[in-house]
Amino acid sequence: MSRLPAQPGQRIDRTQTVRFTFDGRTVDALEGDTIASALYAGGRRTFSRSFKYHRRRGLLCCAGQCPNCLVAVDGAPGVRACTEPVREGMAVEHLNASPSLDRDVMAVTDAVGGPFMPPGFYYKTFIRPRRLWPLYEKVLRRAAGLGRLRAEQADREWRTEYRRRHADVLVVGGGLAGLNAAVAAAELGADVVLADDGPEPGGRALVDGRHDHARALVERARQAGVEILSSASALGVFDGLAAVWQGQTLHQVRARRHVFATGVIEQPLVFAGNDLPGVMLSDGARRLVALYGVRPGARAVVATTSDRGLESALALRDAGVEVAAVADLRATPGTAAATLQRGGTEILAGWTVVEAEGRSEVRAAVLAPVGNGSARAASQRRFECDLIVVSGGVTPATSLLAQAGARTAYDPARGHFALAELPEGVLAAGDVAGAGGLEAIELSGQIAGGDAAHGLGLGDAASRTQVQALRERLRPASARRAPEAVAPAVAGYERGKCFACLCEDVTAKDIHLSVEEGYDSIELSKRYTTVTMGPCQGRMCQLPAVRLMARETGQDLQQVGTTTARPPWSAVPLGALAGRPFEPAKRSSIHPRHRDLGARVLWAGDWRRAYDYGDPQGEALAVHEAAGLIDVSTLGKLLVAGPEAGAFLDRLYPNRFSNLQPGRIRYGVLTSDAGRIMDDGTICRLDDETFYVTTTSSGAGAVEQWFSWWLADWRMDVRLTDVTQGLAAVNLAGPRAREIMRALTDLDCSSEAFAYLDGKRARVAGVPSLILRIGFVGEVGYEIHFPTAYGQDVWDAILEAGAPHGIRPFGLEPQRILRLQKQHILVGQDTDSESTPYGAAMPWIVKLDKDEDFIGKWALEHASEHPGETALVGFTLADGDVPTEGAAILDERGAPAGQVTSARHSRQLGRVIGMAWVPAALAADGASITISDDRRTLRAAVVTKPFYDPDGEVLRS
Amino acid sequence: MTLEFLRPDAQGAVARSPMERQALAAGARMAVRDGWNVAVAYAGETPDAPVTWTDSSHLTKLEVHGRHDLTPGLASRTNGAWWCPITPDRTLVIGGARDAVEDHVDVTTAFAALTIAGPQAREVFARFCALDLRPQATPVHGFRPGSVARTPGFVLREDEDRFLMLFGWALGEYMWTVVADAAERLGGVPHA
Repeated sequence: MSRLPAQPGQRIDRTQTVRFTFDGRTVDALEGDTIASALYAGGRRTFSRSFKYHRRRGLLCCAGQCPNCLVAVDGAPGVRACTEPVREGMAVEHLNASPSLDRDVMAVTDAVGGPFMPPGFYYKTFIRPRRLWPLYEKVLRRAAGLGRLRAEQADREWRTEYRRRHADVLVVGGGLAGLNAAVAAAELGADVVLADDGPEPGGRALVDGRHDHARALVERARQAGVEILSSASALGVFDGLAAVWQGQTLHQVRARRHVFATGVIEQPLVFAGNDLPGVMLSDGARRLVALYGVRPGARAVVATTSDRGLESALALRDAGVEVAAVADLRATPGTAAATLQRGGTEILAGWTVVEAEGRSEVRAAVLAPVGNGSARAASQRRFECDLIVVSGGVTPATSLLAQAGARTAYDPARGHFALAELPEGVLAAGDVAGAGGLEAIELSGQIAGGDAAHGLGLGDAASRTQVQALRERLRPASARRAPEAVAPAVAGYERGKCFACLCEDVTAKDIHLSVEEGYDSIELSKRYTTVTMGPCQGRMCQLPAVRLMARETGQDLQQVGTTTARPPWSAVPLGALAGRPFEPAKRSSIHPRHRDLGARVLWAGDWRRAYDYGDPQGEALAVHEAAGLIDVSTLGKLLVAGPEAGAFLDRLYPNRFSNLQPGRIRYGVLTSDAGRIMDDGTICRLDDETFYVTTTSSGAGAVEQWFSWWLADWRMDVRLTDVTQGLAAVNLAGPRAREIMRALTDLDCSSEAFAYLDGKRARVAGVPSLILRIGFVGEVGYEIHFPTAYGQDVWDAILEAGAPHGIRPFGLEPQRILRLQKQHILVGQDTDSESTPYGAAMPWIVKLDKDEDFIGKWALEHASEHPGETALVGFTLADGDVPTEGAAILDERGAPAGQVTSARHSRQLGRVIGMAWVPAALAADGASITISDDRRTLRAAVVTKPFYDPDGEVLRS
Repeated sequence: MTLEFLRPDAQGAVARSPMERQALAAGARMAVRDGWNVAVAYAGETPDAPVTWTDSSHLTKLEVHGRHDLTPGLASRTNGAWWCPITPDRTLVIGGARDAVEDHVDVTTAFAALTIAGPQAREVFARFCALDLRPQATPVHGFRPGSVARTPGFVLREDEDRFLMLFGWALGEYMWTVVADAAERLGGVPHA
């Protein structure tokens, strides 16, 4: 165990033990531990195996930034052990190693695979012989990836959901700058959300002795009403919407102002063996000590480019770690060096680390002086140690800012890309904005928060004056920055693998090779070597890769530039992006009855509909022999009312409605301005100024929009109301339908009093209804429309009244058989986006002699003069084969010249019937057509009139 | 009247909400009130739930065409009815007496409705709706047309923690499922 005595500000509770398992072995942790801190305290140094070479990897950042501690928790891979709190009973497993983390057979690739695994090796090494590619692919696929999903779907699913949050100000980053910004904005009255990716807001203040101050700020923020999201990673910024992933919830934060206080990311140094367990970033080592009371090593060597490393060396020494030597790249080390020196630490100014020695973990560090940007091996010193603490400077975490539209530029003094320009409404605070030093960081947060609130019109003159005063204090405070050195691109290049990208195992040599092969821009190199494309998303590797690219190409860093910042900034399960599944399903008010009757329910557009009740042919026959009842509530229903309602419909449809008599119905085909069939339905004139328009089920929404659009354009005195969902509708049809109606209504249902294409209003089973005498299925029919709240009662009443007459409910499939017998088209099934009424054998619907212009008139005039190459006809087959819908109609040369649109077997007719688009020359009764259906060739005969009741006598009776 | 077939005014038949079966499955005790079969109690209902949802589909809804002087985005409470401006010349009147409103189209059964109430009401909405329901954006009496659970709808803020949500009648079962799923995660229960 390497637990230290109690540390001020520690996060752990030493009185509470939490047990979990790692690779099946029980681990005792303390409440507040992360998985990594508990394992490290227990002596574990190897946490993962690298992606390509399967090298051992240990803790590096301890802040969720790097890929070194990825594990699977309870079957979910890709969890960072260094930020994931321990939970009682959790099962933690390693990734990417077999048979075990400490004995991984694939580690042989590190020993012998180097020359065979250059960048893009899978395109090179494994490309020949080609016939073996399937085998290679299988092996590569098995070797690639980090972790395995559980085999069973149920085991790899967990609930995720979206939460939409509007806010005045979103602050990303919960360090001192972010907290100050949140407090400042909230205290001026802004509604503020703060998202911080750590388990506790406070950032570095939690580990550098200012934890009480940070926690006081957190409390002040809460008092001011700030909503604090902890363990919440901002994934990306999309036109003002920030996606923040927290646990199982994806927050979609829409804020009017964004403050990014994302801080800086400490950078590793690139040297030989820089990935060996025991090489740790200085902030990471301090976190282990300060938050979890874990001693990161017994004897340390520190290599730094700034005071950051020196401060860590002091903190480690105070925690009882022997600090053997500090290699400070600066010619003049910071003031802390003297303190360290007095304590026995050797200070090597102008030196850096060139190699980490050790097989499974660090055993020694090799240091060397640096001259002209490269280490001089001749003067090297070797220090035995088990911990190498590195601090290669920092890089501002600008990725989210860049996604929001900010621009960065290279700062040669600091050796990194700094913010250069911010878009409107976007603010930056703290380290990411270049504020150096504690005072400046806090001031910049207060200023950003104040500016954000003021930008929203909050605050007053006094608060603006106050912010201005802060701004004046910020300038001198920012100027008080300790000098820093710029880390060399690589040190110890010739000594072994120097990793630029830990996620993807990309070495300095790989970058060199990629440039040699012509991939000489950072974007090309990224795609070729995959540098910056791993789980860290460039946090650890972008700057080193850019430095290496500059070294290889001779460009300066500004010329090399950075890769494009793209979401997600943090790794996220795909399920998080999916959120809760929403599948809006419309159901008619009669739907419960369909379920009760055992209907087969299928999707029809956005409706769930009864497809049949188990016997579609029998249901269809019942309509011919007795009576049938179908739920047609899904039909679109529009009320078109007003003095100009008739004229409005005349403009929309190719036929006339202004001359329709009240109480009468007319069929209408809606055409586009290109004269193509869009939809069809019936229009009943209720009174002089009111029309009741029905549409197809799937076309209801589009027709309503079409009507609304033209109404807005024409500004006619017409009122449009969509009552699709307000009215249920059923179609009672069959030779016994009239008798059944008589039992349900006082209406005179005789053929004389209630003729075909009449529309009447009456009560049916006590329910106020509109009854349309129309027939889609070829028998005497009544389409009854009534308030949808009575759906079940009316349905029950009709079935009860019809029971003595042999009534049966019928579904969508028998309806399709019945309508096919009548050659009634289904828009979208028998027509497509090129079908005109002329081609669809409905020239009679187009009234080109109408005085007024109507939509599609010009195109229809053209179509009337230029018949199409194909025409829609019925067909029948002599034998029992039912062609597939979509099967090709062949012309005399055997080439496809049309297609089958509908086909069914009709028990009523005793044959197969269908509709098809055929060459116009074949659109005549008795013409023979050839259908090519997969491997079958079928012969059919054309029938141009309805198969059943061709003259409509039954319908009108 | 021309449009009496739109009015849920049956003789003998009972009007039913599209969420009736979901309410029954959630333990509702039903009774007929003013011709509607409505939930009058739920088994195990807790009065101090952080959020509740109530089927309010039976509320009268009337569409009135013509210019009005209502403030866009704000409903007006008059004679027990909410007058909600949809467009400058289209108003939705919710609740109240039909006869008090001249020249309307009865759309009572075009829209189902759920009342979502309690301190966690906005959080429930946040799970399926991107409308900004914060008090500064949607004050009490605020009326917001928009997308709810990926379908067109309206949200009316009746009180500080009380929202009336309208949506297509045919989507009742779906919407109950969505709201119950979100609310139950936050300790919510159905309420009569």
